[in-house]
Amino acid sequence: MQRMVLYTLFNRLWHWSQAFLIILLALTGFEVRGTFAIFGYARAVFLHNTLAVVLIVLIVFAVFWHITTGEWRQYIPTRAFLREMVAFYLTGIFKGAAHPVRKERTAKLNPLQRLAYLGFKVLIIPIQVTTGALYYFYPNLNTLGWSPSTLWVIAVIHVLGAFGLLAFLIGHIYLATTGTTPLSNFKAMILGWEEAHPEAPTVSSEETS
Amino acid sequence: MSRLHRTGSFWRIIALLGLAMGLPALAQSVGQKATSPHRSASPYAKVHAEAARRSTADHSQFKILKGPFKEGDGSAVTKACLTCHPKAAEQVMGSSHWTWNPKDKHLAGYGKSTHLVNNFCISAQGGNQAACARCHAGYGMTDRHFDFSKSENIDCLVCHDTTGDYEKIAGGFPNPAVPLDEIAQKVGRSTLQNCGVCHFFGGGADATKHGDLDDTILKATPAMDVHMSKQGAAMVCTDCHVSNAHEVSGPNYVIPADKREKAHFPGESMSRMACTACHTDSPHASTVLNRHYRKVACQTCHIPEYARGGLASNLSWDWSTAGKLKDGRPYKEEDANGFETYNTIHGDMVWAKKVKPSYIWYNGNLKFTLLTDTLPTQRPVELNPAEGSYADSAAKIWPFKFHTGKQPFDPVLNRLVAPYTAGPKGSGAFWGDYNWDTAIKTGMEKAGLPYSGKYDFVSTTMLWPITHMVAPAKDSLSCKDCHDQNGRLAGVEGFYLPGRDRGWGIDFLGWTLVGLVAAATLTHGILRYLFAGRS
Repeated sequence: MQRMVLYTLFNRLWHWSQAFLIILLALTGFEVRGTFAIFGYARAVFLHNTLAVVLIVLIVFAVFWHITTGEWRQYIPTRAFLREMVAFYLTGIFKGAAHPVRKERTAKLNPLQRLAYLGFKVLIIPIQVTTGALYYFYPNLNTLGWSPSTLWVIAVIHVLGAFGLLAFLIGHIYLATTGTTPLSNFKAMILGWEEAHPEAPTVSSEETS
Repeated sequence: MSRLHRTGSFWRIIALLGLAMGLPALAQSVGQKATSPHRSASPYAKVHAEAARRSTADHSQFKILKGPFKEGDGSAVTKACLTCHPKAAEQVMGSSHWTWNPKDKHLAGYGKSTHLVNNFCISAQGGNQAACARCHAGYGMTDRHFDFSKSENIDCLVCHDTTGDYEKIAGGFPNPAVPLDEIAQKVGRSTLQNCGVCHFFGGGADATKHGDLDDTILKATPAMDVHMSKQGAAMVCTDCHVSNAHEVSGPNYVIPADKREKAHFPGESMSRMACTACHTDSPHASTVLNRHYRKVACQTCHIPEYARGGLASNLSWDWSTAGKLKDGRPYKEEDANGFETYNTIHGDMVWAKKVKPSYIWYNGNLKFTLLTDTLPTQRPVELNPAEGSYADSAAKIWPFKFHTGKQPFDPVLNRLVAPYTAGPKGSGAFWGDYNWDTAIKTGMEKAGLPYSGKYDFVSTTMLWPITHMVAPAKDSLSCKDCHDQNGRLAGVEGFYLPGRDRGWGIDFLGWTLVGLVAAATLTHGILRYLFAGRS
């Protein structure tokens, strides 16, 4: 059996620290909203603001990484195997059918992942970062020449984004169990490699053919 | 890449994750430290001792102060004082402690010698000057025709007695039993007690009116008043209410919402009534806490409750039930707490200790009602409504004592009235004859104001800013006291408050989305499991 390296060290570090930060941001954020009490309000506010800055720094590094390594290409949406992927999740998976798309280093994402992660990166994260910054600097917006009449619009968008992230997280964790074995994807995301399955086609082979 | 290397990176990730997990623990060390301008205990005890040491005069050695003074002859003492302090007379006579009318133009008319009206004792002007004059820095005020130009009528001792034995009676005269020569030889700087003999007893009795000022302050623990407690900062009133040529700085009814006091040149005499004068406007370690100052007064968080000293403050005064007699005699009723719930001379009253203030947007404008003002149609009548809103950049959320009352008014002229209350039987005073009709008629006559002859009672409300009885930092409000759906700011409108404002619609939408995804994945997972078992 051949080992295929899928995730570089930075990729894994970025993924897990982002996961950790987003989960903590969700917990502290919902505490600030008043949904529950875990950390204590003052600490929740402090953590939320601090972790947000850490996440933004991480995102800056990740953007740099995506650009310099060309990894961003892996998120270009494609229609290739899209239908097959949907069909696989709706029926094939129950019949023990083989995964329609094979992973490889330069095309580690299936077309559904590409869509989902692209949406995550260019939609949800920017919305959360923007509304989060506006929320934090709300008392200073006056001096910047813009004074929205109320904070609630910003807050509502930020909260809806948070619910979106929560939903994403649940779906993401569940779909990660649909690998060769329920845990193989988790192992791959920790170790960086997984066992290769040369029989299935890849997204890139379809695109180039 | 060797196997060893890969395992290495795996452990590296675990280690990094562990480090990240440590962040919350790190955050625990970040508290809400409030900085105190003073590190040592009771710093002002030292300041006051230093001031005394620097003094060049010893009043006990001055012959003129040895008297002897005739019993109750305060004016003789005043004349003696003025021989060495000739300019003091002019200074005092220009001050509001003498004129009972603020100096500031925009506040003129707000004083006991004016037509200002409240819902405690109502007004001094209804012929009650003699009784009220126990708190006038003068001798002989018995009616509205008091001569404000006679310097010998100044009462120096009420503010400068250091023995605590000085006492005033009706008309503002010294109690004849007071040993004037002894007191005169021991005059000095004003202490808590000098200010307290009047300001603790507003509304006619200890703790009644203000709520944040009563004579428990004299023996307060730091928990009751961190500034004035002897074990706290050991400050006296004049450390903040600095006097300038006998004009003691004070808000004169209308407390500034956001006062900035900063010396413009070294040695400038200035008041330090604003918290920021000593504490700056960013005294917290946390930026987020400091930013609250834009919209929240310091007092809001740092005075969690007023009347914390053990005495109850009056929350409601219903004059309309006053005058009831039992077997032809006036009577009192007390509740289980020993609070006077009824008194023939006052009517029904409500008292409470350790009261949570009311929180209101306030920009520094309290508009008071005068006896000459026509009442608005709104009921209850707000006697001193606070101006301000979230949109008002000068306004902050301020704590107030909310006082309700029911008091007589003239339904024909639609004005409040000043009844003659404090007087003997047969004088027409309410406390002598228990007759509203004659009490109001006499009062309005003495005040020189018109009265239609008809009276009724009207519900009124008043706001009393809470600014004393500051608690130690550890006892200040916590975030959740306000950032909560049922928090203290539940009724303060006009803005979105995180933790308080949580629209059910957004939660419904969000949780539905999360629930749908969770249900879909669960169903999918169960199906996978079932089919896997079959194949």
